[in-house]
Amino acid sequence: MSNGVVNGETAPSGPTSTARGGRAIPGAAHEGRLWRLSDTPAAWLLILPVLVFFSISVVYPLAETIRLSFFDIRGLSAPRYVGLGNYIALFADPLFRNTIVTALIFTLGVTAISVSIGWGLAMLSAFAPAQTMPFRMMVFAAFGISETVSAYMWIMILRPDQAGLLNSIIGIFNPGFAHAWLGDQNTALWALIIAASWSAVGLPLLLCFAAVQAIPKSVLEAAYMDGARPTSIMRHIMMPLSLPGVRVAIFINLLNALRAFDIIFVLTGGGPVRSTETIGYFMYRESMTQFKLGYGAAATVVLLIAVLVVSIPAILQRTAGAK
Amino acid sequence: MKNGLFGLRRPAIVGAASAALLLGTSPAALQAQEVSGELIILQWLGGTEAELWADLQAAFMEANPGVTVRELVVTGVGDMRGAMRTALLGGETVDIIINTWPAFRAELADAGIIQPIDDAWTENDWSTQLSDSWRTLGAIGDDTYGLTYTYGNRSGIWYKTEHLENAGIEPPQTWDALIASFDTLKAAGHEAPFAVPAQFWAHSELFETLLIRTSGVETATALAAHDIPWTDPAVRAALEKYAELLAAGCCASASTMLASDWDAEADQLFLADNRNYLLIGMWMNTRARNDYGLSEGEDYSMFQFPALGLGHDDTSMVDSKELNLTTNGNNPEAAIAFFDFMLSAEASEIQAGYGFASPSSEADTSLLGPVQQISTAAVAESQVQFVLGDLLPGDLVDEYRVQLQRFLQDPSDAMIDSVLEAIEAKAQVSY
Repeated sequence: MSNGVVNGETAPSGPTSTARGGRAIPGAAHEGRLWRLSDTPAAWLLILPVLVFFSISVVYPLAETIRLSFFDIRGLSAPRYVGLGNYIALFADPLFRNTIVTALIFTLGVTAISVSIGWGLAMLSAFAPAQTMPFRMMVFAAFGISETVSAYMWIMILRPDQAGLLNSIIGIFNPGFAHAWLGDQNTALWALIIAASWSAVGLPLLLCFAAVQAIPKSVLEAAYMDGARPTSIMRHIMMPLSLPGVRVAIFINLLNALRAFDIIFVLTGGGPVRSTETIGYFMYRESMTQFKLGYGAAATVVLLIAVLVVSIPAILQRTAGAK
Repeated sequence: MKNGLFGLRRPAIVGAASAALLLGTSPAALQAQEVSGELIILQWLGGTEAELWADLQAAFMEANPGVTVRELVVTGVGDMRGAMRTALLGGETVDIIINTWPAFRAELADAGIIQPIDDAWTENDWSTQLSDSWRTLGAIGDDTYGLTYTYGNRSGIWYKTEHLENAGIEPPQTWDALIASFDTLKAAGHEAPFAVPAQFWAHSELFETLLIRTSGVETATALAAHDIPWTDPAVRAALEKYAELLAAGCCASASTMLASDWDAEADQLFLADNRNYLLIGMWMNTRARNDYGLSEGEDYSMFQFPALGLGHDDTSMVDSKELNLTTNGNNPEAAIAFFDFMLSAEASEIQAGYGFASPSSEADTSLLGPVQQISTAAVAESQVQFVLGDLLPGDLVDEYRVQLQRFLQDPSDAMIDSVLEAIEAKAQVSY
């Protein structure tokens, strides 16, 4: 059963899908190997439109970005080839180094908070799935809200005067309290992390809940019959067996947080004094505000590499079973 | 008749004009006959200004039935130059670019995207409608690239009349009176008298007016060109004055300033009554009238930045918007006709209806609202300096605003030195 869960983490409803025939290609099992793309030229024909679309929308812009990163382009002036000059300047730029640190704190913070809360809520929801469905839907709805809309909502929550929701709640216990959460360098980044985590909880909740639901009832029933308490069941059965869902949630939220831009742009604009500037925002500022396209492109490539560093191990791990 | 006089078509147009006069046709009708085709304008303005432009274009098309004006709209948030550059680099062809940044004008000219309009200026005799100072404002060296169609006072302080009346004070005319008013206003229940929105850029407004009031427009011009360093004592003097204001308890906490943009602070002044003074551009007028439903001159007004008594109290910071003529537009005749239309009494009247002042001598200033009239008179009496931030190179202006944020966090002498050194270090590589 546990193998089934591990191998089936992408399909929340089918942890043992291979055994049940849900994901295997019909006939493949008879030949003793998995079906391969190269088995038929028709397959290439079928994926050709996707390949063309992918090339136009992803490969070409990516290649163009990499090409631009080797040029010094300022404003509307003519490009000047500088080789690795932009990359050398980038890593010598203290602002960029600061950006990397900020991006790491933001990314790890958002991922840790959102996945922990999502996972915890999934555990609790699993004890009463039907009754908690509206609650889960509400939490997941936040995941579907545009980051910009979410950011404007958080502006109202975090506004610096006593009319801000957070300040007014604290003001119940401490009358007259007002703190500029987004204007204070000590709190701005954490306020951003909380705001970004709010909308990121939905996905871990969904994935972890699905993973828990995939645990065979017989295992849980056996635990009950052996006298296990709910906390023990959660700790020793539900949590370990829902780890595949947690891993996917970490992977997706890590990538989303690493690429975050909208919420930072709306809430703080990278400030105060650049204290909330992540790689995505740095890239925007250099490319669009200062229009140093080549420099901005170099920052984009660095961000891409960071995303790949996060993605490749996860992809390899998740496709390790494929032959 | 001036509208159609451009380039190679001039002789033909002059001939047509003669024929039209013989037939008793009006110049406007002639213009309608002579200018035709599609006129494309690179448009980035939003809100009320976009509505103003729609009205201006409709009026132009009515006067020139052969012309169809099409806007190439670029959208975005904050500094729109990025979106404009993207459109232009992407191969979009337009006849006219609406521009408000002198530094961007230079960039467009260097890239060969816009062309001088001196010939058209002479042929259309625009000097009768725009003074030399406006022409100089739109020039790069000896060539004129920009035709200014509106301008704004950036050294005016907005206030709500009832705040000062309730506190029993008059709009401060001197620095000492301004400083003294803070305690009075706080005693009247207002949280922090002077709004300093420092989240993005608006905190630099105060510095720039203090710079010209402490050291004159020449200093600001020299600083913009980096002919003097940012560590110059004149620049330091402006920041010291800024620090004096902060020390007098003018403003909210640094973190509150750094968390607020100008519109949020405007809300604090006009809706929440927590602030009393806001130094910001003339777009505030539209917001006060349209968004807050306030009556111009009655519910709110403006006074020019108080006199410091340092010999430069006749100076004001201004901004402007201009039209640039592209080199690759398909309809330069219509573009020039549009330039000419923007200096007309009709266009000025439309602008006045939206609260915008025209620099044209054909503009009837009596059509402007009371606050606009105060502003227009103040600018007319001043030595003016274009907004410093719009004159600086892109990466420098970014550093300049961030360093001013640091100054607001700690307006000490040591921090002033640190801030100016940091801006100067950036300036060394930006020019």
